[in-house]
Formats: sequence, C-alpha cells, structure tokens
Amino acid sequence: MLRYLALKIGRALFVVWAAFSLTFVLLFVLPADPVDLLFDPAEVNAVPPEVREQVAAGYGFDRPVILQYLTRLGHALTGDFGTSVQSGRPVVPTILDVLPSTLLLAAGALALALVIAFVIALAATSARRAWVRDLVEALPSGAVSVPVFLSGILMLQIFSFRLGWFPAFGDRGARSLVLPLITLAIPVSGPIAQLLVRSFATEFRSGYVTTSWAKGATRGGIIVRDVFRNAGLPALTIAGITFGNLIAGSVITETVFARQGVGRMTQAAINTLDVPLVQGTVVLVAAGFALINLIVDLIYPLLDPRLRAALATGRAA
Amino acid sequence: MSDLRTAIERATPRRKRWPWVAGAVAVLLVAGGGFALTRGDASTGRAAVAGAPVHGGTLQFALIDYQRSPDPQWGTNYAESLIGNNVTDKLTWQDPDTGEVTPWLAESWEYNKDLTEFTFHLRRDVTFSDGSPFDSEVVKANFDQYVHGDEKLGINPNGAILLPGYIETLTPDRYTAVVRFEKPLASFLQASSFTANAQPGFLSPSTLKLSAEERTDPKKVIGTGPFVYESWQPQVKTVLVRRKGYNWAPPALKHRGEAYLDRIVFNTIPEASVRTGSLTSGAVDATLDVGTTDEKPLADQGFKIIYRGVSGTSIFFNLNSRLFPTDDIAVRRAIQLGWDREAIRKTVLTGSYSVATSVLAPSVPGYVDYSGSVLRYDPEEAGRLLDEAGWKEGPDGIRVKDGRKLVVKLLGISNLVANKPAYESIQQDLKKIGIDLRLTVVPIPDYTALLTKAKTDWNVVAANRSRNDPAVLNLQYGPALGNGSFVTKESPGIDVDEVTRTLGRLELTLDPATRKQYAKAAQDLLLDKYALVNPVYNPSQVIAHADHVHGIIFDAQSRNHFVDTWKSNGK
Repeated sequence: MLRYLALKIGRALFVVWAAFSLTFVLLFVLPADPVDLLFDPAEVNAVPPEVREQVAAGYGFDRPVILQYLTRLGHALTGDFGTSVQSGRPVVPTILDVLPSTLLLAAGALALALVIAFVIALAATSARRAWVRDLVEALPSGAVSVPVFLSGILMLQIFSFRLGWFPAFGDRGARSLVLPLITLAIPVSGPIAQLLVRSFATEFRSGYVTTSWAKGATRGGIIVRDVFRNAGLPALTIAGITFGNLIAGSVITETVFARQGVGRMTQAAINTLDVPLVQGTVVLVAAGFALINLIVDLIYPLLDPRLRAALATGRAA
Repeated sequence: MSDLRTAIERATPRRKRWPWVAGAVAVLLVAGGGFALTRGDASTGRAAVAGAPVHGGTLQFALIDYQRSPDPQWGTNYAESLIGNNVTDKLTWQDPDTGEVTPWLAESWEYNKDLTEFTFHLRRDVTFSDGSPFDSEVVKANFDQYVHGDEKLGINPNGAILLPGYIETLTPDRYTAVVRFEKPLASFLQASSFTANAQPGFLSPSTLKLSAEERTDPKKVIGTGPFVYESWQPQVKTVLVRRKGYNWAPPALKHRGEAYLDRIVFNTIPEASVRTGSLTSGAVDATLDVGTTDEKPLADQGFKIIYRGVSGTSIFFNLNSRLFPTDDIAVRRAIQLGWDREAIRKTVLTGSYSVATSVLAPSVPGYVDYSGSVLRYDPEEAGRLLDEAGWKEGPDGIRVKDGRKLVVKLLGISNLVANKPAYESIQQDLKKIGIDLRLTVVPIPDYTALLTKAKTDWNVVAANRSRNDPAVLNLQYGPALGNGSFVTKESPGIDVDEVTRTLGRLELTLDPATRKQYAKAAQDLLLDKYALVNPVYNPSQVIAHADHVHGIIFDAQSRNHFVDTWKSNGK
C-alpha cells in the first residue's frame, strides 16, 4: 500500500517538474525575444542596443540560460515564480487574483456537465424505441463537435443581444455566469456522457438486472436503484481528460464572454512571451492535473472492493 | 438473456409517451431560438438630441485590448495609451487637423537655435489628483525616470526611444523647465505632445517613487488628467471617474472646466461580434476596433461611425536595398507601379480607410501626394522597367535574370484585418507582371522574432509607425536609426550619406516652411529617387457609437480623449 502511494505521488511530482522544464525549454527555443515584445512592434528595430541590454538585465534575461533555469527552479520550489514581465506584478498573486473566476466557472460547468451526461445516459438507457435511443446516443459526439466559440456566440446572440436575459460580457454576479457555464459544460459533458452511455448499456444487460426484472421491478426502478450506482463509477477514470477539457474550453469561453480567468491570462502570457507568468500557470495546471489523477488513483481502491483486494495481496498497479 | 429481458419488459403495458413530449419541447426550443435570432430589433428608435452638452452619466466603452498595468508611461497597446491619455496630461497638444503644436500644461515655450534646448513655461494652476502641485521639479523627475528607467523599482526606460539623446531637465525656477539633448531634436516639440504607446504623461511625485508592482494599484497611479482611476481589473475593465476641479484641458479644445461624464467604463471585449452585439443591444454606448465588415451594417442600424487615419506612416512595404532581388531599383520601381490601387480601395478598404498616396499619412505636416507620379498603377511601365533591367519572362511566367527567379519575400503583421487581403491583392497584380511576391503575414510575436533576420532574409517588411511628425521618416529610414530599407554601403547605387543627410535634416529645423521643404525632399528621396518604400494604405481607428453620444475626440495620434464627451440622456 505504501509503495503504491509513493509511486503515485512520485509520478505526480515528476509531471509537475517536467511541465516546468518543458515550458522553459519551449520558451527559449522560440525565436522571439521577450524583450522585443515590451516595445511597439513598429519601433523594435529602432531600440538602441544599450536600452535593450538594460531591459534584458532588469529581468535577468542576459544571464546564461542554464543559470536562469536553475534560479527559476530554485525559486519555484519555494513558491516564487518571479514577476510578470508585462505587468510588473509577482506571478503568484496575479494568478491567485483570477483563479477564483476560473474555478467557479470550471466547477459550475463540471457540475452541469455531469448532470447533462447522466441525463443523456439515463435517457438512452430507458428509451424503448430504437430511434430515440440512437438520437440520444448521438448527442455526446454532437456536443464535442460544436466549437465552443460558435456555441458561445450563438448563445450570446439569442439570450443577450436579442432577449436581453443575461449580460453579454464581464463578471457581473451570478447572471453573467449562466451562459459561460452552459457553453463550457456542453463540450465537457460529451466524453463523460459517451462513457456513461456505454457503461449503462453494459450494466443494463448484466445478470443482476435480469434478476431484478424477474422479481418484477420496473424499468425506471432498475435504472435508478441498480444500474446507476454501478455504472456511475467509471466516470471517475476520465477525470483527467475532463480537467483538460475544462481548461482548454475555459480559454475560449473566457475570451468570448470577456471574463477574467486563468485560461485567457495564459493565452495573453504566451502571446507576449511572459516567461514567468507562463511558467506559473503551466505549473499550476500541471499540478492540478497531477493532483486530480493522484486523488482518483487513491480513492478508486476505496470505492472498488476488487482493486482493494488486489492491493492487499501486494500486486500494486 | 436479453430475450428473456425483452420478453419480461414487453409484458408490461406501455404507458409513457415521453419521447413525443420531449420531441415537441425540442422542436419548440429550436423554433424559439430561430425566432429570437431573426426577429427584428425594434428598440433602436432614439432620436439624436444635439445641442447643449449634458453633464453626468456613465460612458460604457468597448475595446479589444486591456491595460496590463495602469502605469501610462509604459505600454504597447491601444487600451494602455487610450486610458493613459484620460488620466494624464502632456506639456503640449498637437492639433489633429493642422499638426500645429499648441499649449497645454506648458503655456509657451522657446528653443535655442541648435534645437538642443527646449524651455517650457508651465501653467501655475495645475495640480495632481492627490493635491500635489505640478511644477518644473515634477517635469524633471518624470522625464528622468521616463528616459532612464529605474532598475530598483523595476521601471523600464520607456521613453528612451521617443527622446533619444536626452541629457537632463533644468529647473531655473518653479514654473520653467529646460529640457536638454545631445543632438538637435526638432521632433521633441511634437514628442512633448505624444499620446501613443509609452507616452510622456505626467505622474505625481508619489507615483514616481513606486515600483512597477506598486503601480498595479490603480488608486496609487496619480496624474493631472480629466479623469482618475476608480478601478482596474485586468482582462475585464478599467473604470475612470471625473476629476473634481479639473480646469486645464488643452485650450485648443475650447473645453472649460471638468469633464462632462461622471464615469467611463472601458470594457475589454476580445470578440468582434460580441462588441458589435453589445453596441446594438445597448449594453455599451460606443465601441472601438470596429471591423471593416461591421461598419456598414452598424451605420445602417443608425449608429454613428467616426474614424481617423492612424497618423505617421502609411502601411508600407519597406524594400530591402541590399538583398537580391530588391537591391535592383528596377524591381523596386516595378513593385511601386505594379498593383491596382482601385481594386484594393473597392474590395478591401471601407470609406474610413484610404489608399496610400505617400509614405506619410495625409495628416502629417509636410505630406506630399504622389498618386499621380510614382504611386500609380501602370503595369506596362513596370514591365518595361523590368525588361530594360534584363528580367526575362521564365517558363512559369515569373521573370528570371542570370538564372535567378524574381521571388520577393514579404514579412508582415496580421494585427489589422485589412493587411492580408491587401497584400494578397498586390500579390496577384505583381504576378501578372512576372514578380512572385511570397507572403508571410503572422501575429506580432512571430513577426518580431522573424524581424531579427530582416536584413538578410526578407525583401519586404510590411508595417506602419504611429507618429504625427515628418521626422518619423528619419526615425524609420535613417541609416543610423530604424534603417527600414537597410541602406548600407552594399546597397547598389545608393549614396548612404545623402540618405542620412536628407532624412537627418528633419531634426534640424522647426521653421514650418523649411521643414515642409525638407519633408518633401525626404519623400522624394524615399519614394522616387531610390524607390525604397512602397506605401500601401492608410489604416484607421474606427469607433461606432450610439447617437446619444457626442464629442469623442481623436487626437493627432488617433487616440481618444473623453474630456468633452457627453451623453444626451445624461445616464
């Protein structure tokens, strides 16, 4: 058990370190110079060399790359990611400022996505007519295929600009969260729904369900009491993918609805080669990703008795 | 097993009709959505009530960018300069129509004969919003930090490019400031009014002491401007409120006293369709960054479109004078003559934009119109020039000389929507006369990266530069400065000293007549004699606003000032 734990935690730490190092390498392999991006693009060629040197020295960009890497890594270990090149603010509070908006959006969208996914799975399973079932089962792939910016803009056109029910941009309390939530939840619900539809179908055909039928249970009763509990668990296994979808979707959702957030900030930071800020956000996202997978790995044995037994006998995964 | 199950299930009677109900609900939803989308907007029936300005109200303004820091002295985007202009004031105000530099915080000024010393006599009634007075010591402290930066505070030398060769500011008395330079710098007078990116707006001594990090608290960024910061939320919005007791708008604006508006909210909206949708639905009163395709629909719905050409240079093709094949003046001339201006005007540009008729925008003092001479569409003449220079048509229609094809590589920025279509139109026209123009039009970070190899890799660099002064030509093309066309000793047939001298003279005089003459000589040299640049079009800043909004000012750099702005409904 202890070995299992150490292995999983070690793997999570490695992922975070690798993300940190890889971003650093990528940002330095890119041919653009972050110092250039501090000036008007039309004036870049007119910047006197001594001014350029002064600016580069101010941010430590003039030192050997390996030294920059080690210093950054050392500071990062103590939770200090330096100062944003573009705003002059330390990276950590800059991220912490916008993190709540993204967390709220992501958590809300996840909850809504789960509801949508379970509704689809339940509907597909309880549908008696084949064509209804086929139609409902096609919804997840449809949900994944609709680009977020398209559904977002469509929703704005209808509910903000035409009907005026919701504000079109910015953070103005709960009402401004509704449209972004739905927009982000739709693509995130897709993979979850697909997985659930499949595992619902599998469970629905298993022996214990037939027993329930034989005992005279109704279709609805079987689905809610027997199938739901057993088929819901596998959704946890794609928590990592779901997290990735949420992060990727939030970049576009935040842009379309002009909300502040980690996604949009990362995009801006990459566009301006704001090395410290990009590294801070990448490490944050990688840590989130690793943490979620770690939690899933750790709680899954608790939920699934078969896996617990396997661990106890020492055959660690 | 499944047979058994089906058999059991079939035995129970069917009661539910939910699929039909669900189907009906879905159809209704889709139809309702469609109806909502296509329904005409009946809410836009406001009448224009011009007349006496109304005090009060909040202007909801939309734009694409956001301020990455409230500090107006640094910044590379439009939001930063635009908002900075309404929080800080400058020494002088350049008239956007005539280009004349007029008083603002400086009541009058004089300069020495060499144009190395500029003496400004300051207004005595100006205060910062924290109550501290505006005087010559403040001017000195601002310019010193603006040019040199402050490494301890993390402040960059933001003004080093605008004020090259700055030595110091002397303060002979409380309201006299003398700014000294190493070399003659005629363009400094215009620079003292500069309102574009990284502008010399005055910050209070208490703000100058703050580090870059501390300046991200907007309440601590103190200026003398008509508005003061209320809040700053990166990515979302900046809110400004009226400065009480403001009474020093540029006299040329004829605005007395405080601003009319109580508050301005600068909403950052990255998506074009959301900006226009917010305007038509009334969520914002005005929006900047109106796309070329949105102008007409908005005008048709009764919104006012106002615009001003971006001052400085046009969008230009800088032709590399030392790299094959643009080192051949015949090729450079053929590029100037080889594309149809009318086609671009009709298919790419709107009425707010114009085809370039010089390397300078028409609003810059000293602009000369070359549309009848070098900057005309004359494919026959272009072909003749290439024939004469020995460029023979190859098998694929592209000309060849000494076994080398006439391939011209262009590097451009994709930030303006009209750029790529305009370049593509030129590409098609040039192909007809045997020039293969290859386009690399990319976002700003990629552009700056590729620009480092411009001298050896790119025949054409397409960009523009915002500065409403003819000396922009020296900054952009002077061999010792921007050297946009890479004029060096390896440039065949070009006298480097002549270029240096002709462009450099623009910094040597402020006499309007002489300067005009020098500006013409500089344009003649760049466009005609050496054909170093092919101007394309003049970009514009376009605002669409509801008709209850009045008095949005475009300054000489095409940035907006809201001191004179009011709303007829006063809300």
